Amino acid sequence: MFAEYAWLIPIFPLIAFVIVGFLGNKLFKKAEGGAPIAIIMAAISCVLSLLVAYETLTTGEVYKASLEWMVVDGFTFNMGIYIDNLTALMLIVVSFIATLVVIYSVGYMHSEGEKKRRYYAIISLFIGVMLGLVLASNYLQMFIFWELVGLCSYLLIGFWNTKPSAASAAKKAFLVTRIGDIMLMLGLIIFFVGFKGNLDFDYIFNNVDLFTGGDSLLTLGTFLIFGGAIGKSAQFPLHDWLPDAMEGPTTVSALIHAATMVKAGVYLVARSYPVLIETPDTLIIIAAVGGFTALFAATMALNNTNIKRVLAYSTISQLGYMFLALGASGYLFAVSGDPNVGYMAGMSHLMNHAFFKALLFLSAGAVIHAVHTEDMMRMGGLSKKLKITSAVMLLGCISIAGIPPFSGFWSKDEILATVFETGAYNTGFYLLYAFGIIAAFITAFYMFRLWFLTFSGKPRDQEIYDHAHEAPKVMWIPLVILAVLAVGSGLAGILLGMEGTIEPVAYLSTMHIASGIDMIVDMFQHPLTYVSIIVAVLGIAVAYLMYYSKTIDPARISESKVGKKLGNVLLARYGFTAGYDLFGIKVIYGISKAVDWFDRNIIDGVVKLISLICTLVGKLLRFVQNGLVQTYASIVVVGVSLVVILLLAFGGMF
Amino acid sequence: MLDNLATTLADTLEGIPVLSLLIIIPLIGALAAFFLGKNNAKLAKTIALAFSFVALVLSVFVLIAYYGSGNGGFMFSENYVWVEQLGINYNLAIDGLSLPMVFLSTLLVFLAILFSWDVSEKTRTYMSLMLLLEVGVIGVFTSLDYFLFYIFWEIVLIPMFFLISIWGGPNKSYASIKFLIYTHVASLVMLLGIFALYFTAAGELGYYTFDMAQIASVSGALEMGMKTLIFAALFFGFIVKMPMVPFHTWLPDAHVQAPTAGSVLLAGILLKMGAYGIIRICLPIFPVDVSYEFFGVVINWQMILAAIGVVSMVYGAFACLAQTDLKKMVAYSSISHMGIVMLGIATLTELGIAAAVFQMFAHGIIAAVLFMVCGMFQHKAGTREIPLLGGLVTKMPIVSVIMMFSFMASLGLPGLAGFVAEFSVFTATYDWLGTNYWYWIIIPLMTVALTAAYYLWAMQRTIFGELTTKIRTDNIRDAHWFEVAPIVVLLLLIVLLGVWPSALMDIITPTLPFLSIPGVI
Amino acid sequence: MIPLEWFLCLSAILFVIGAVGVLTKRNAIIVLMCVELMLNAANINFVAFSSYTGGLTGQVFAVFAIAIAAAEVAVGLAIVMTLYKARDTVNVDEVKLLRW
Repeated sequence: MFAEYAWLIPIFPLIAFVIVGFLGNKLFKKAEGGAPIAIIMAAISCVLSLLVAYETLTTGEVYKASLEWMVVDGFTFNMGIYIDNLTALMLIVVSFIATLVVIYSVGYMHSEGEKKRRYYAIISLFIGVMLGLVLASNYLQMFIFWELVGLCSYLLIGFWNTKPSAASAAKKAFLVTRIGDIMLMLGLIIFFVGFKGNLDFDYIFNNVDLFTGGDSLLTLGTFLIFGGAIGKSAQFPLHDWLPDAMEGPTTVSALIHAATMVKAGVYLVARSYPVLIETPDTLIIIAAVGGFTALFAATMALNNTNIKRVLAYSTISQLGYMFLALGASGYLFAVSGDPNVGYMAGMSHLMNHAFFKALLFLSAGAVIHAVHTEDMMRMGGLSKKLKITSAVMLLGCISIAGIPPFSGFWSKDEILATVFETGAYNTGFYLLYAFGIIAAFITAFYMFRLWFLTFSGKPRDQEIYDHAHEAPKVMWIPLVILAVLAVGSGLAGILLGMEGTIEPVAYLSTMHIASGIDMIVDMFQHPLTYVSIIVAVLGIAVAYLMYYSKTIDPARISESKVGKKLGNVLLARYGFTAGYDLFGIKVIYGISKAVDWFDRNIIDGVVKLISLICTLVGKLLRFVQNGLVQTYASIVVVGVSLVVILLLAFGGMF
Repeated sequence: MLDNLATTLADTLEGIPVLSLLIIIPLIGALAAFFLGKNNAKLAKTIALAFSFVALVLSVFVLIAYYGSGNGGFMFSENYVWVEQLGINYNLAIDGLSLPMVFLSTLLVFLAILFSWDVSEKTRTYMSLMLLLEVGVIGVFTSLDYFLFYIFWEIVLIPMFFLISIWGGPNKSYASIKFLIYTHVASLVMLLGIFALYFTAAGELGYYTFDMAQIASVSGALEMGMKTLIFAALFFGFIVKMPMVPFHTWLPDAHVQAPTAGSVLLAGILLKMGAYGIIRICLPIFPVDVSYEFFGVVINWQMILAAIGVVSMVYGAFACLAQTDLKKMVAYSSISHMGIVMLGIATLTELGIAAAVFQMFAHGIIAAVLFMVCGMFQHKAGTREIPLLGGLVTKMPIVSVIMMFSFMASLGLPGLAGFVAEFSVFTATYDWLGTNYWYWIIIPLMTVALTAAYYLWAMQRTIFGELTTKIRTDNIRDAHWFEVAPIVVLLLLIVLLGVWPSALMDIITPTLPFLSIPGVI
Repeated sequence: MIPLEWFLCLSAILFVIGAVGVLTKRNAIIVLMCVELMLNAANINFVAFSSYTGGLTGQVFAVFAIAIAAAEVAVGLAIVMTLYKARDTVNVDEVKLLRW
């Protein structure tokens, strides 16, 4: 009964966007630039989302509704609502975190003046379109919202648009994700034509075998759809926009990383599962890209001193885990036919990550709010001043590091277990497992490095330390709520039996439904579980030794010859930034310069040549035109005489 | 309720020669503005605005009436014998292909007149030329007689020539002459094609006629070689107008020099005449079975059309990236976007052609806003050179928002008008290419990224970043009401068509089967 | 009866005199007069053929031509008058404004 009103969920934030965005600053002068409206609308849609999600998760029914949007020549474009358990999960995550972020923004964006109105308008739009994306009933509709999500992140990353770096980062985010979007678009077109003009999830998922064009084209289609996710979720090799996206306000980063933009990619892959499990080749690619990215991105976080950048790399890395889980799980299902927990692990990692990453970013925001710098080298010892923030951030760090019973542990462990299990069918997955384990170690290390550098030890910049202050209530209350969730969501999810519920239709029939307790018992009987715990603890221990007890001097590593070189490579993001710039400036701009030259000189050159010939001939002939009527008349007479003579001579008159 | 209104309107309008009125009203307006507006610029402006508004209202009535009772065929036909001996008729009618174009024309002329409210030089001439342009354009889009079509086609050139050459920028005479010669050469070739068609068709029909429908009815029986030649001549005439690479260089020059309203009409309406001509006139005589072999590669005309479209798309997009003049960039983007239209036409499928027509309309309204934005930059900052600008968002927030909105619409952001057409064209192209050659679609798809690149880069350098110090910025003012009002109308339309594309699609698609296009039944 | 050739010869001679006059004379008035000569040469032809074939068409045309010639002279002289007023000359060599 609530699902019937689900279409209202994205409408409320959109109303907030229209009200806040199009009514002038004067109206909102006293009202925090429209914050109350944004909060109320976000909260209403959050409540509605929770109701819908609760209904769907308890009844397990799939709600479908769609309208014909456009029909041309057998191609049907629909708009509608599709709610299943996956949608429900996403609704909870997106609407809940978004609401908290908007509330938090009241404190964080307090001093932005008239810009606040723009901020609340766009963020409302952002929430609205993300919820629209989640509720979409077909790929085209999803793509529409997908692009709008991209637009919103463009606008928000470039929020401080008079800062050249922010403008540049926003552009980069849009363009790099656009490359993924092109792949997605092509994938959709392949599906659209292959499924005879129908892109509805409902139709495609139940009729995968009706695809015309052959298996290889279907594989290509699914791969291209994953290509969209690579761009959106910042996976290798389209990951480089996400660290730059830290130019936006921290609240925006929290929203992008926890609830909206990057999660859209994971959601897309999870949503496409019934098709994906028909194409194991794509699943291998998904797993490989995910596994590699998990490790690759984690390494770049090792020596970064910008608090937000570290979190950005960790997001890329954690998203890699999700893709790894989805790829491995699907592949395992495709080759063995047995159900497994990988899919569910990936999705619950999405949820857990949403909570702890929102927590981490908002805590980082509180820190930045307090010290007005993002450089960890100028922080230190802040736990005395920022008691609540440091405490909740510690919880977030433990959670992401994967220490039981914090939420990150459960999902990450299940992911790694699934990957290891898949190794039995394809040995490549053992390598991916190794990537995952190493990444888990690195994650634990850099997260605690971040915490120790920020909160422990002696202040490295006394002036900053003296001015630091705890965040206002409106900021720390959302933090505490998130902290509770970051700690408990993993265990709660398992105990509440999300295990069996968040599964794509295709496997539901073969799914075993184990009770939560059984699951946990099962987990702790498995030796691999202890491996991941040990790895996490080791990571924390190394960070402790290096940055808290100072037993190992980090400078010794970074100052050594190899360390220095390696550090520079990491800071240069393995040269990807330079590579992107090179590609953009040298290759693309170079071609365009060449085209412009060609246009000016060759094409217009030919045109000018023709006109030059005409004018030259004209210049020669103009001397005939001397303005004397009698000259013209003489020419006429001579001409006529000639004609007559010729006629007489050749016309047979003689 | 709406249906009733539409039927009543249709009944009422059937009784009066509504299309002739649509042509005559601007003509009267042009004369009135010119003669009554002597020594009174304000009066001239008011007259022009009033008459263009009446034409707009009338076209909206036609739109509603057609929406209610059109079945895809022609409506509001008017047929009078003009020169009987030569088979020339005054034959007007409207269908789902011409209706969007007529509406677009009346709308854009009205808004362009409003937008140029501050023209102070020779105002009455300016206003009457705008209305005269409307006369020609509506005539082109409604006439169903080749002779009449050609006359209106030529009428359009003259006001545009004067608009550029009198109110243009510093290099206006070069640009206007280039425009005139280019389009005139093209229309002469087209005229040649029309005559050839006239005489060959007469051989089949047994009598001479310029009537499009009657000629189309025998187009299948024409001899292939001749038909191909005629097609090529007409096609050439139209692609210069569109314009397609390599016959495009008149467009950037014309745009750079033209006054803003002139650019709006040039990009918004005049380019559409070329595409309209291809669909209306070239496609019924499309040489489907003709193919040529070069070095073992078989090439048919469909491929040639598609290649021209794709080359224009990619070439235009690359050229955009290198421009430093904002308006020149937008001009090249027009070439790129008209390439999409061409690609859609080349597929010869219902989806492709419907999307092409949709794109024509969408590009018409989007390009209008784009050129208005360029005009505002010129007007307020005094320059359109991108390297001289920067950080202007603080000085003119409204203009910046409009710029961003229109750029996003132009780069095909879903939810705005451009996306539906773009996606449909790509789908149709993929469908046409088939499973063996699908990979060719990657080339046109590239432009999606390139388009985003040049627009975003341009925005980054003009409105974002630090405020420029290269030009005086202390007295830059934000947009006037008469600049914002037309843009708002267009933006609302862009959003409307993005959110509800079937509003336009449902007019276009029923007409396609009537166009006797090979491949579309 | 005088044979047709004689008339034709007369008309040809008259025409050539007129034509040479038009092409060589500098005075606009004389040029106009020479034009008249050429027209009258044509008239002679008309009349000659008319009497030769017995029809009246030629004579009618001759009358037409005379009427037109009168009109032409009126316009021509008006132009010459205006020219004289404006440029203070009737020399056609000095009137060469319409050139490159």
